[in-house]
Amino acid sequence: MPGALELSEETRERMAELRGLSEKAEAGDEEARKELRRLVRAASPEIIGRASDIAGRTEWMLIKTISAGEPLMEETLEARLALMREEIAGEDASPLEVLLTERVVSCWMLVELFDVLMAAQLWRGNEKSVSPSYLKHMIRWQESATRRYLAAIKGLVQVRKLLRPSVQINYAEQQVNVAGDLKR
Amino acid sequence: MTLERRDRRLYYYRSVRDGEKVRKVYVGAGEQACISHEGDILRRTEREAQREKQRAELERLDALAAPVKELSEAAEVLARAHLIAAGYHRHKGEYRRARSA
Repeated sequence: MPGALELSEETRERMAELRGLSEKAEAGDEEARKELRRLVRAASPEIIGRASDIAGRTEWMLIKTISAGEPLMEETLEARLALMREEIAGEDASPLEVLLTERVVSCWMLVELFDVLMAAQLWRGNEKSVSPSYLKHMIRWQESATRRYLAAIKGLVQVRKLLRPSVQINYAEQQVNVAGDLKR
Repeated sequence: MTLERRDRRLYYYRSVRDGEKVRKVYVGAGEQACISHEGDILRRTEREAQREKQRAELERLDALAAPVKELSEAAEVLARAHLIAAGYHRHKGEYRRARSA
């Protein structure tokens, strides 16, 4: 039985199928690409729904941890996240863009959490020393969270750039590319 | 650390690692031996409690980070599937439109 913060076995199977077909299609298998198109249409709503659910619960837990029970901090963080979501996703975001936005926001929260914890360790470093292995763990997690955060931003930018059909307009003898609407 | 009784008197030694060898270092005798011994036990217990606390905290953080990793993976797989289904392929980490697409 998966926990509240884990994807179901069925969703994992769908993801494995998508991964396998993506690899085959990338290698030039046109049948796999056709099958991938079908599966993407069929599986996207389920995966997006489940992953967004995880994102919501995870963010709530991260907010609770960072704010350490301070209601004002909790509300400030919630407001900040809502603003981030609005700014990053923008208007008329597709479901995939919404998911990728959730990913960016969750990763940002994790980076914030490790930054806060590291700062706290260094602050109290003089009075109560922590073990080098603990600090090593923290630094490794901080680096990994930052890498994941940057990859999340890159992923969203790629999808926006490549999946939004652009319209080319010739204006005053200059070509202007205008991004279109991803909702198809 | 050892508390030894010889001729009705207590002697306290600490074990100190010196490279590959462990040496016994004399700390004190009589009342001094008891005080040093109890002090060492207290410090050791404190260190163990601190280690346990840190281990629990690392486990808690790991549990917090795990769903973010899972969310990231799901988003990554889906975004890649969308891009490849749309006719892209990766070349040196960047997506390019396939010629046949």
